[in-house]
Amino acid sequence: MTIAENLFENLRLELRRGCLTLAVLAQLREERYGYTLRKALADDGLVIDESTLYPLLRRLEAQGLLASEWREEEKRNKRFYRLTPDGEQIFAQLLGEWNAINASVTATLNSTTNTTSNGTL
Amino acid sequence: MDLLNRYLEAVRKHLPWQRQDDIIAELRANLESQLEEKEEALGRSLTKAEAEEWLKQLGAPIQVAAGYQPQQYLIGPHIFPTYRYVLKLACSWAAIIYSIVAVVQVFATQNPSSNVLLESLLRLPFVLVNTAAWVTLTFAAIEYTVAQGYLKLPAACAPSPGWTPGALPPLGSVHASGKKPRSYAQAVAELVFGILFLGWLLLIPKHPWLLMGPGAFVLDALPYRLAPVWVPIYWSLVVLNILQLAWSAQNLARGKWQEPHPVARFVFKIIGLVPVILLLSAKDHITVVLKQPALDAAHYAAPLGIINLYILRSFQVITAIVVLQLVWDLWQLVREDYRKRAAAMQ
Repeated sequence: MTIAENLFENLRLELRRGCLTLAVLAQLREERYGYTLRKALADDGLVIDESTLYPLLRRLEAQGLLASEWREEEKRNKRFYRLTPDGEQIFAQLLGEWNAINASVTATLNSTTNTTSNGTL
Repeated sequence: MDLLNRYLEAVRKHLPWQRQDDIIAELRANLESQLEEKEEALGRSLTKAEAEEWLKQLGAPIQVAAGYQPQQYLIGPHIFPTYRYVLKLACSWAAIIYSIVAVVQVFATQNPSSNVLLESLLRLPFVLVNTAAWVTLTFAAIEYTVAQGYLKLPAACAPSPGWTPGALPPLGSVHASGKKPRSYAQAVAELVFGILFLGWLLLIPKHPWLLMGPGAFVLDALPYRLAPVWVPIYWSLVVLNILQLAWSAQNLARGKWQEPHPVARFVFKIIGLVPVILLLSAKDHITVVLKQPALDAAHYAAPLGIINLYILRSFQVITAIVVLQLVWDLWQLVREDYRKRAAAMQ
């Protein structure tokens, strides 16, 4: 891996880290267990490694944002997760922040594009 | 599936023991669901090679288990800036104190030699490593106790406790004039080298070769020796160096290493003239005499006169240069003072 590729990979991971938490919280407004959650995220275009997702669920649970419960489904015991009331509140705040950042970045990109276009005309 | 069981067992070994069973049960359920779906899609069981490939994609057991470990730092980002500052400070003072102790020890020995000095110098890296290790250990202990919730982060460890913009140091004239201020490392290095220089200076009377190298043995064979006027000159040099070291140490301790006071610097340059004045005021300008005047006067009196004359002329030239430099420094001081006063009046 070249230095530029390495740098891109580090920045990409940094960018993804916060987004993953938001996506996981969004998915867990409905109750899911680890594997179906991973599949749902992948179906929406967000592929996460098992080694990242499953520990993340534990951390969010330890922070009080998720609640979990062991239950049998299809003859197999599975641990199901869902948002707690605190988790719902934090998710709403994070979503607001995400939308604000998204709007700001989009506005910045648009203004930069306009400036560049004007400059070339 | 045997391979999956072996994989999960390998993960278990690296998990926190209180949560091993719970984590493995969850991981097993998720992976078995994944496996089931894969096999359903294929319409058959995975071959050994396919299973190995799948598990390889999941990651090495130690790596998977690491995700479940709480994030730990030896020294976390909250206290790292303080740690780095304290480390720098502790190592600097360790170097200074050690240098002073080493110089004293060298002179406390019966026969101070260059070997003793060299040994002391070689021990310095170990002193620094030792100091750094203790500082690191202390901060690692603070980090651990804070992370475990046993202790609240001490205010002294927080980066710049009680910081206010008003307390920022003034830029000063050196900085304003565009010159880079002296760094802390530079100031410490000057002090350490100053101490080593003093040690070297104190060794010279007993070991003249430290000053003149092999020339010292040649001079020993000559019929000349230094006149007694050199004794007060030598001790005035020693006193001057001690004063300068004390001043540098005080500047360092008071955090004023960036811009030493210009008047104090000027005063030291004037005091630096004392040894030269002592030499120029030697009786009849005699700075070198014969070892055995009664025996050698007939042969060596004439060359001796020439040697004394050359030494006198050399020091007259040196004095002239130093005085000119002092006049220039004085002019700079007056000009700087005038500039400051003018700026203050605006």
